[in-house]
Amino acid sequence: MANTEQLLRQHELEQFVYHEVRLLDEQRWDDWEALFAEDGVYWAPAAHEQPDPFEHVSLIYEDQLLRKVRYERYRHPNAYSLQPFPRTSHLVSNVMCDSEEDELTIVNARFQMHEYRRGQPGVFAGWYEYQLRQINDAFLIQQKKATLVNCEGDLTSSNVYF
Amino acid sequence: MSAHINAKPTGDVSSLVHEDKVHKSIYTDPAIFDLEMDRIWGKSWIYVGHESQVSEPGQYYSTTIGSQPVLLTRHKNGEIYVLFNRCAHKGAQLVGDSCGKVKDFRCGYHAWRFDLDGKCIAIPLVQGYEDTGFSKDDECANVQQVPRFDSYRGFVFASLSKAGPGLEEWLGGVASSIDNMVDRAPDGELEVTGGVMRYEHDSNWKFFLENLNDMMHPMIVHQSSSLTARKVAKRELGEGAKVPSAIEIIGPFTESYDFFDDMGLHAFPYGHGFSGGKNSPHANYSDVEEYNEAMYSAYGKERTEEIFKVNRHNTVCYPSMTVKGAIQTMRVVKPIAVDKTVIESWTFRLKGAPDELLKRSILYCNLINSSANLVGPDDQESYYRQQNGLLTDGNDWLPLNRDLGRDEDMGDGYLYAQGSSDLAFRNQLAAWKHYMAEQS
Repeated sequence: MANTEQLLRQHELEQFVYHEVRLLDEQRWDDWEALFAEDGVYWAPAAHEQPDPFEHVSLIYEDQLLRKVRYERYRHPNAYSLQPFPRTSHLVSNVMCDSEEDELTIVNARFQMHEYRRGQPGVFAGWYEYQLRQINDAFLIQQKKATLVNCEGDLTSSNVYF
Repeated sequence: MSAHINAKPTGDVSSLVHEDKVHKSIYTDPAIFDLEMDRIWGKSWIYVGHESQVSEPGQYYSTTIGSQPVLLTRHKNGEIYVLFNRCAHKGAQLVGDSCGKVKDFRCGYHAWRFDLDGKCIAIPLVQGYEDTGFSKDDECANVQQVPRFDSYRGFVFASLSKAGPGLEEWLGGVASSIDNMVDRAPDGELEVTGGVMRYEHDSNWKFFLENLNDMMHPMIVHQSSSLTARKVAKRELGEGAKVPSAIEIIGPFTESYDFFDDMGLHAFPYGHGFSGGKNSPHANYSDVEEYNEAMYSAYGKERTEEIFKVNRHNTVCYPSMTVKGAIQTMRVVKPIAVDKTVIESWTFRLKGAPDELLKRSILYCNLINSSANLVGPDDQESYYRQQNGLLTDGNDWLPLNRDLGRDEDMGDGYLYAQGSSDLAFRNQLAAWKHYMAEQS
């Protein structure tokens, strides 16, 4: 049976994940970026069990510099595929801590992202895996990996982080 | 309003394409799409797959030619075959997976078994067919081979039509783009690796092909990504700092009109063509010393420099396959409906080259070809807006006049024009007209 400490830890991790996706939905890109370690990456693989982002294509693999390009593009007047800017609602569930070792906490979760784009609703669903570093009371994302259930299938244009 | 604006051409669909204009309906009319499946995708050479995907006997790769499911296979005799993915019996598709390795194909419905060239090997309770006018040795008991298939330097194409030019004759002037990509491998061979991305476009297949050699769009469509990438890199890394590969890749898409004009357009029979040559957005990637050394020892310095000098941007093997030799990527066109197309994006390993080259090709695909990247969605948006914009009345004919009559005739049907010319569109549409007219 879980003890109080474990329950508090579970609550803490869940709150972090909920906060992270909420920032995406609220389009608070600078606050979202602040959750990442300086060398932290966002990764959306193009295949299940893809071993790495270097010898296999990915839907998105962005370091801090590329993420900053993306936020800046969001604000650019000629970002045609972002007119109007899509709205999203991320739902996260099944949050579980897989391991806590070497100052790295691995958290696994399931997500659904509802998107409203070009007047049409759309749904993306899949798995999250967070690699988190804890600095005092705060977490920093070393890697957020979002694997779509259909990442190997036909995918339409997407401009936002899953 | 002049009288012709809303006039719909009647009769022969080839009247929808003129030297200087194209009628919007070829992009929007579902009946024309169905005709294209017969007359273009059912006749032309269509890219099927790469030999390295079926390097071992028993391997297969499942794909499509137009709307028809087919299999690329490697028989135990070492030969490659292209078969219709359909049991000879009651028509069930033989395999569901996209690739695999088998001893033979066994239909999941009634367990008829077929060799990798389609030959029927076994039928359960075969005695039931004795003296009935049907035998497992009949030609019609075999999984049927596609009428023609052939390979050019590892790239397998097939045609649903028995008649037509041979593959090499058909490729003509763009064979040299495939040559250049293969020649960039120190061992002289390519291997498909790194997975595939399938990007669904809600637009007609022809928009994608036209856009590849539309040199008037990059500096407009890609401002928000390419210009921004340059700006952010300068701000974050400092003026004059060495830029990372990602920025080397995204940056050149907003080069000037002069840059793209200078790249030039090369057009060949059957709608093929390429842009670039002396220069392209891929010309100034950082050198990989170890790779250059491997090339020098394989080919010698002089030949290596000849190979590297060829700096093409997009090569279109109309209508199904497009390559970027300088960065070893390929995009394959899969038409689904008049307003739906899937673009597959593939990467190649240059055999004998250091891993860094493959990593750069992968990075390129992530940044430019993925459905979720910073660059591609703006191209797709343009086609989507065309697809919807062309549903309006008015301006039913789209002009193709830019630099009309100013092509340089290089002989044997090879035309050259500056990058900003409409030559690539006129050339693709001339092939369209040729294919579509033949049977009407």
